[in-house]
Amino acid sequence: MQTGLLNTYQKSVSNRSYIAWVMSGALLTFYVLIYFTDFFTPIAAQLHLGGKWGMYGTLYTIFIVGFGIVFLRRHGQTPYQRLRTLSIMFFQVVFAFALPHVMEMFDTPGYNFAYFWPLNYSAFYPSTIASQPLPFILYSMIGAFILVPVLTFFYGKRWYCSWVCGCGGLAETAGDSFRHLSSKTTKAWRFERYSIHIVLLFAVVTTVIVVTSFIFESRTGDEFSVVYPIFSKIAGPVKGFYGFLVGAILSGVLGVGLYPLMGSRVWCRFFCPLAAFMGLIQKFGRFRITVKDEMCISCGNCSTYCEMGIDVRQYAQNNQDFKRAACVGCGICAHVCPRGVLKLENKWDFASWGDAAGVEHVDV
Amino acid sequence: MHYVIIGNGVAGINAAGSVRMRDSESKITIISSESDHFFSRTALMYVFCGQMSAEDVEPYERDLYARTNYDRVRGRVASVDSGANKLTLTSGEVVSFDSLLIASGSVPFMVDYPGIDLDGVGNFVTWQNLEWLTEQAKTARKAIIVGGGLIGIESLEILHLAGIKTTMVVREDSFWPIAFSKPEGDMITEHVRNHGAEMMLATETDEIVGENGSVTGLKTKDGQTLEADLIIFAIGVIPQTEFLKDSGIELSERGGIIVDEKLATNVPDIWAAGDCTAVVWFNGVRRPEQLWYTGRDQGKVAGFNMLATESERKDYKRKTFYNSAKFFDIEYTTAGYVNFNFDGERDWYQCDSIKETSQRITYMPDGAVIGFNMLGSRWDHRPLVKWVEEKRDIKWVLEHLHEACFDEEFSPKFKVTEPAPALT
Repeated sequence: MQTGLLNTYQKSVSNRSYIAWVMSGALLTFYVLIYFTDFFTPIAAQLHLGGKWGMYGTLYTIFIVGFGIVFLRRHGQTPYQRLRTLSIMFFQVVFAFALPHVMEMFDTPGYNFAYFWPLNYSAFYPSTIASQPLPFILYSMIGAFILVPVLTFFYGKRWYCSWVCGCGGLAETAGDSFRHLSSKTTKAWRFERYSIHIVLLFAVVTTVIVVTSFIFESRTGDEFSVVYPIFSKIAGPVKGFYGFLVGAILSGVLGVGLYPLMGSRVWCRFFCPLAAFMGLIQKFGRFRITVKDEMCISCGNCSTYCEMGIDVRQYAQNNQDFKRAACVGCGICAHVCPRGVLKLENKWDFASWGDAAGVEHVDV
Repeated sequence: MHYVIIGNGVAGINAAGSVRMRDSESKITIISSESDHFFSRTALMYVFCGQMSAEDVEPYERDLYARTNYDRVRGRVASVDSGANKLTLTSGEVVSFDSLLIASGSVPFMVDYPGIDLDGVGNFVTWQNLEWLTEQAKTARKAIIVGGGLIGIESLEILHLAGIKTTMVVREDSFWPIAFSKPEGDMITEHVRNHGAEMMLATETDEIVGENGSVTGLKTKDGQTLEADLIIFAIGVIPQTEFLKDSGIELSERGGIIVDEKLATNVPDIWAAGDCTAVVWFNGVRRPEQLWYTGRDQGKVAGFNMLATESERKDYKRKTFYNSAKFFDIEYTTAGYVNFNFDGERDWYQCDSIKETSQRITYMPDGAVIGFNMLGSRWDHRPLVKWVEEKRDIKWVLEHLHEACFDEEFSPKFKVTEPAPALT
């Protein structure tokens, strides 16, 4: 028995009781206020936390560290869970929180080295590039186009999603009590495959439009801007809409606001463009989950506690090693399996290249 | 064709799937007295503990029956008229069939101790048992588990975690001697006690005592009376075949349905799969295989054979034995034949009492390895089984043992510390 999971369904916080609804309402309100109003600005100033985003960053870090400790008490029995939780806490405290502050003290713009395009959707906007020294711009490019795909190919997207990322960090720690609330239905899976790739496409298109329009504008009068004036016209609205819909509503308001009702990975599973990008690479990469043949007792702990809503049990009871684009490699499925059936591995396996979907909800 | 399946458990549902996969037309009826939806019996303990919901332990989405066009009948089969291809439910309803699969599973084995019918005495095997136990646990303060097997220790764990002072009463003088040596059993016993639960060894039940129809305790053969307001009997399960007594279907002495290697019974068009069958084991003994994965396999094979022509039919053949379990936090993997007491067998054994891990390898005098018993860490049974089948030498096995490790990544590397035995 995983004693940390005892009475999960009896706790009002984690069983979608009215308390969960109230919590979700409070979170939604908080996010709407912080994104769209200056309600928190005076409070932040009083607390000497800089602006409202300074306050938010501080709160965020406190939550990851605090609930990281709770997580370690709950699931820290194995080295994998210990290491990746410490890693998440480290990247939040040092890379996301402390380092940017230190840089600002030295009059350099704050830069988070663990935050890559297209999750960091403004990374290549001309306005961002203009405000940063050249090495940071180069790092943004190397990070997004070399570091991310290469590491993902070798280690799966977990190197980022459940070891480094701040969104994933909050999900793994503060969101741990809600991981079983992710929907395992075929319906949710179908929705996820559309939604996440649409957001990825949207992110790419937005960046391309914004960058192109800048190039055109800087070449005013030449034939391109005459032929394609549309770019300059729509760049502003598209950028604004992406920021509003993806940057604020999907990642923040709904992404965290729905924790108590739909699980901790709503953003990561349905909308995150970086997760979508890495998921595509993961299909062809080395990372997979190995299943021991004919040992599964179909208890369903793995599926229940999969925060990404993967029905792990289907693979386990069908004796199928598998790769799923969604899997963030948190390892909880293997951790809670009472028969030790599952193992996360990085392993060359040419036979299953691109075989990401695996079984499509095998019936019988 | 009308296929009727008695039992909505793992054998029944897999048989139904096996049929439906190759025949989308025929009528398939699944009869169950227990539940509307197939659920994983092995996960009852997690539902009790609130670790999983009722729906979480159902391996398929609830539209399975509609999607695959299975008819369901809720009811208990009272008798099977094998001559007329008909069966009768306890409600009186008659269901006729062209082909019948009996996958009725097990019922708890009970001994007729005085007081066995008192309120507060029960089992933990069915969904109804789960509901009963959930109700009992609300008021119970002291519980006793009779029996030292898997269901017993799982019941001990969940009642202990529910805050009930629970004692397990085991007849043998070490835990689960059918699978464990004394040191292995003792490690489990100590682990259980360190958790604060109690395990009494070498203690036999004499009678159950009660007041006003409710249980108040258990009297042991050595004259102690243990106080309890809840007693779970977990002394094994036997095939649920009472309803077949007058059916003409041949049963073994202990009630298991006698099947051939195709899983057919002695009656044409009647098949059997899962816990309720008695199949021939590797050593020629006929007895049930009461495991989850054998139930699944038998169901698949029986379903296939029900539909197949005589020449297509597959044999159900169990290869080398293996199994796994978990005792509180200690995971267990076994492969091959440990504790089967072959002539001349010997053990190589090492343990780490701090990490609560141990490995035992049984081998024959010529060095050929015949079985593994691994506690406290994860092992891949596939190489272990292969090595047994290949009759690998104990020295070679010890050199390669780390390859079968299945612990999570970053776990400390497994090491062989005990020397390999010198063979004479």
